[in-house]
Amino acid sequence: MQKGEMYVGWSTKEDVRKRGGSGGLVTSMLAAALEKKLVDAVVVLKKINEFEAVPIITSDVNEVLNSAGSLHSVPSHFAKLIANRNLKVALPAKGCDVRGIIEQGKRNAINLDNTFIVGLNCGGSMHPVVTREMLEVMYKIKPEDVHGEEIEKGKLIFETKDGKEHAITIDELEEKGFGRRESCRYCTIKVPNNSDIACGNWGVTGDLVGKATFVEINSEKGAKLLQNAVDAGYVQVQKPDEKGVAMRAKIKGVMEDLGKKWKGKVFVPIENGRLEYFRKELEHCIDCGACKTVCPTCSCGEVSKCTEYHSRGDAYKMSMYHLVRFLHLADACIGCGQCSDVCPVDIPLTRLYRRFANPVQEQLKYEPGMDMRKPPYFEVKLNE
Amino acid sequence: MSDNVYSTICPGCNFGCGLYIRENGALEVDFRKSSPANAGKLCRFGMSLPRLYAPVKSMIDGKEVTLEDAAKDAAKRISAGKGSTAFLSFGNTTSEELLAFQKIGESFLCTGINFEALPKDTYRTLSVGLPYTEIEAAKHIVLFIDPYEQYPLIVRRLLSAKKKGAKITAVWWKTLAIADEMIKPNDVSKLALTKDSLIITDFHPLSDVEQVKSVLALAKNAGAKVTFLKPFANSTGAYLLAKDAKQKSLVQLIDDINKGTIKTLFCLESDPSTLIPSETLSKLTNLIIQAGQASSSKANIVIAHEPLYKKKGTLINNEGRAQALGGAGTNGLDALGIIAGAKFEFNALHESVKKAIGISAVDEFTIPKYDRSAYGAIQGAVKLNEAKTALVSVYNPFIWFNLADDNDFVELNLNTVRALKLLKGGTLKIKSNGASIEKKFKVAPVQDNVLITSKKFGIEKGMLTPVEISR
Ligand SMILES: Cc1cc2nc3c(=O)[nH]c(=O)nc-3n(C[C@H](O)[C@H](O)[C@H](O)COP(=O)(O)OP(=O)(O)OC[C@H]3O[C@@H](n4cnc5c(N)ncnc54)[C@H](O)[C@@H]3O)c2cc1C
Ligand code: SF4
Ligand code: SF4
Ligand code: SF4
Ligand code: SF4
Repeated sequence: MQKGEMYVGWSTKEDVRKRGGSGGLVTSMLAAALEKKLVDAVVVLKKINEFEAVPIITSDVNEVLNSAGSLHSVPSHFAKLIANRNLKVALPAKGCDVRGIIEQGKRNAINLDNTFIVGLNCGGSMHPVVTREMLEVMYKIKPEDVHGEEIEKGKLIFETKDGKEHAITIDELEEKGFGRRESCRYCTIKVPNNSDIACGNWGVTGDLVGKATFVEINSEKGAKLLQNAVDAGYVQVQKPDEKGVAMRAKIKGVMEDLGKKWKGKVFVPIENGRLEYFRKELEHCIDCGACKTVCPTCSCGEVSKCTEYHSRGDAYKMSMYHLVRFLHLADACIGCGQCSDVCPVDIPLTRLYRRFANPVQEQLKYEPGMDMRKPPYFEVKLNE
Repeated sequence: MSDNVYSTICPGCNFGCGLYIRENGALEVDFRKSSPANAGKLCRFGMSLPRLYAPVKSMIDGKEVTLEDAAKDAAKRISAGKGSTAFLSFGNTTSEELLAFQKIGESFLCTGINFEALPKDTYRTLSVGLPYTEIEAAKHIVLFIDPYEQYPLIVRRLLSAKKKGAKITAVWWKTLAIADEMIKPNDVSKLALTKDSLIITDFHPLSDVEQVKSVLALAKNAGAKVTFLKPFANSTGAYLLAKDAKQKSLVQLIDDINKGTIKTLFCLESDPSTLIPSETLSKLTNLIIQAGQASSSKANIVIAHEPLYKKKGTLINNEGRAQALGGAGTNGLDALGIIAGAKFEFNALHESVKKAIGISAVDEFTIPKYDRSAYGAIQGAVKLNEAKTALVSVYNPFIWFNLADDNDFVELNLNTVRALKLLKGGTLKIKSNGASIEKKFKVAPVQDNVLITSKKFGIEKGMLTPVEISR
């Protein structure tokens, strides 16, 4: 196996295959990496219910096997979880997870040589509280009655315990303020080719639909991961058919275009009063620091520019904390949405950060987390 | 290797914010986005929990001992001091522990609240607040608090209400960005309420009873709704469970210790030094503290059990929502059992808790139905601020928990700065009752003749302290 190859595969363990998002290949590949000591630990989501799961780092193969399945209402992020721990680790990763991990790698907080990144195609994730409300308001079903969920042909489908399916188009949901998190709508990393191996259900055809995963090997590490899983008897693979390969490329293109459309819709230029716009948006900030703690591209720790230049005793109209962060993250922000998720006063932070990041990253032709290029701001030298 | 991750509730106030605590050498906070009260969001204090949970060891007179020995010794001292022992818990622990605690205290429990000075028919309203969704649906909200400083997670609910068209009036000492209308506390008579109004205020051991009554009266007379926010993780649970218990207000307790009628004080998950002056505490023969984290009080006996995040048990938040802590620990109950001389079974206590609230299972997504029967006519006299200059102490989780924060300054307005010719970056002298301190200042839209602090400086006399200020 080698970089550039594509396969369709599934778990040889029947129950994992059944529980898996699409065939349980990812789960089995992670379990095999642990079992065969390719890694010392694996990150998985420990599922609590359809809307809650907690990320854990484990060396227990059974815990890994139990984690199969995609949770669309769990917008977690794994980069900070494994940062500064010096682990030999394998983990599943949505596009934004991959980008965060790579950026932490550039900042020496993660050793990428020891990190096996299993990328997941990602159409988007939802905030669990919004999902619950959406189920009650839009679907008229009780969240507790939900048994499973899937996305198919632009529809978000919930299956209830009575076996019934309830479908509404994502467009309609998002028009009403539900559906995916805002950052996911304009995220354009749909197939994470920045990971070691990209996995998803796009491109799986025929009888295998829902029962197999389409994988694309992006690196030597990715090849090693898959080969190891096959050798260990954990997964079975076959070559994809041409129709599947074409279909995957097509959906990817459609989704990326949709992301771009959303980007245009969200980032309407502010003609006048830009300063006032930012001041107003930040006016309720309670200075909790969660946006920094959670940011997967920030690796400053306790002592950082944004906090050192800022004091609660300052009486500026906009705090130095935010001003420094807007600038500091302009080349680093990956638009993962974590900061908006955790802001206790609901400031649409990702939107604000992207207002700075979009033009900077476009002009510098630099997309953080997509490759190993050094962040442009690292190259800035003063008074040399 | 497998992470120890606990699903828990922030003890910083009674809002009921869910989070995970991850034990990873050092403690880490992780966001529990599915938590109904806070959608995983945390305030500055919630983000500081790893600092709050400083490890604590069981001690007898400064010597390290086992939990069992500490509890046994405490039992001895309590029984020797029968009649002169008081039991204090602000409500920072599980309902199950509080029930056990009441049994030890023989139905005597001091939550610090002066319930006796309040009409019985107001207890329900004071104990259980309104669901946050009701706040979000209100047309007119009146704040008697600073939401940003005191109960930060309420801010997003207020913003959500505003988005739906609500008007927000604040009766407060400084202009709040969220308010559409500001009324000075001294001008509270100008407040116009209707039956569409919803008052948000708070209730705790330092609340002025007359002030509480006057807010209840305002609501009553206008047919408005009122909700009391509270500062301790299980304030609501504590007040509901203690409704038939004998109570002692904080003022009475302090008085009794000063008089010498109370010689032993047993505090459960409550740091007495945050509310009781150190001169008073030093008069005790025995200060016994049972807690899951280090406190700043000097205790004769420390009974150290697991921190709250490792405990098993039920907390009731401001809305009356029952929430289960995700831990498995019950050694707090074990210690209480040693003191009581009878083992406390978690399950039996848990059943009693559910019965008291009227639920059959703890489900964080369903707020139990409470009989929020209206209270009768009530009167209260608002104490106006007559000081030439007053230092207003804004109690917040950091003060309640004695946790350091980056807030060693006072807020004052530009007029005051000019009148005193204060220098940028300089300090302000504040005098009160012979004591004098010098503090940095921050210019803020504070009313004339008022200084605001979110930190305890040590010169305060309650929430409003008359002071003299100079350059
Ligand atoms: C939020 C989300 C959106 C997705 N959208 C698409 C899509 O639009 N198109 C597409 O082709 N594929 C998408 N996928 C990938 C797809 O659902 C499957 O995960 C993939 O096909 C692998 O299937 P599997 O059976 O091999 O994985 P499994 O064996 O089920 O393993 C899944 C792994 O993902 C982890 N995981 C589950 N939920 C999350 C989460 N929210 N964040 C991080 N890790 C998680 C689990 O812990 C487990 O390790 C998405 C996945 C997620 C999590
Ligand atoms: S930001 Fe992108 S990769 Fe991350 S969850 Fe949203 S859509 Fe997926
Ligand atoms: S600023 Fe926000 S959106 Fe950007 S990388 Fe950090 S957490 Fe993600
Ligand atoms: S998360 Fe929100 S409230 Fe907290 S510091 Fe960031 S912007 Fe301010
Ligand atoms: S202190 Fe109160 S508002 Fe802040 S996180 Fe804790 S429970 Fe929530």
